[in-house]
Amino acid sequence: MTAYDPCAHCEEMMQPYMDRVLTDTERAEAETHLDECTYCRKRYHFEEKLRQFVRQVGQEQMTVELKTKLAGLRTPLQ
Amino acid sequence: MVGWPGMSETTREPDARQLATDARDRVRFEEEALALSDQVYRVARHLVGSREEAEDLMQETYARAFRSWRSFQPGTNLRAWLLRILTNLNIDRGRKIQRTPDLQPLEEGDYFLYNKLEATGDGGSDEDRVVERLSQNDVVGALSEVPHDFRDVVVLVDIGDFTYADAAQILDIPIGTVMSRLHRGRRILKQAMAESAVGGDGE
Repeated sequence: MTAYDPCAHCEEMMQPYMDRVLTDTERAEAETHLDECTYCRKRYHFEEKLRQFVRQVGQEQMTVELKTKLAGLRTPLQ
Repeated sequence: MVGWPGMSETTREPDARQLATDARDRVRFEEEALALSDQVYRVARHLVGSREEAEDLMQETYARAFRSWRSFQPGTNLRAWLLRILTNLNIDRGRKIQRTPDLQPLEEGDYFLYNKLEATGDGGSDEDRVVERLSQNDVVGALSEVPHDFRDVVVLVDIGDFTYADAAQILDIPIGTVMSRLHRGRRILKQAMAESAVGGDGE
């Protein structure tokens, strides 16, 4: 066994932490470490920004033509 | 209400009121589905490689949704229902032919992208500035490099904002599989973004 490395542990916990799927104990542990450790806190902020950025990239709009085509697929009213 | 036998004097002819209710339900369903189309498209666009494919897939999805609107249970998640149709159609379109790529050991940790960007930048380590080293094209290109099974999950959760449980339902896979694919998919994505933004190793 290698020695316990709190930053490596934090790195493992980062995505589940951000997805809010950690148990209360794990979350408290992650937060304590993030409060104390600039190295991990920096990377946590980066991960948050990265998620926002990736989400924004997904904001490409449909064309008006496609919208019209979709609306045209409805069952005609009798 | 289902009529009991013997009570059906009044229901022998097609019930005009019933037909009207049915039509109204259908119209409401169609309107609700169309109102979600921007959100559905956003996911569709990144599940497939090109805009044209995404547009075809959207039309097939809505055509099928409008045909089978009765199988939607009111009160459940319509966006997830639509995406389930969409991902099934996408799989039917033959992408299954693509074999799962050889999974090379990819155990760069989660901090890999940040470390890489920070190391190759102008020395600044401010998180805002570091993320600005990525362009939209880096992300879009990197997403298209993530193998389909992993990409589906990453796109549903990280772009479509679906929960693990929704993604599991949409893709008809266990939630544990969603989690493991998400974990791996995000790392593949990060590695691809790093390569796109700063070039591969040893170059």
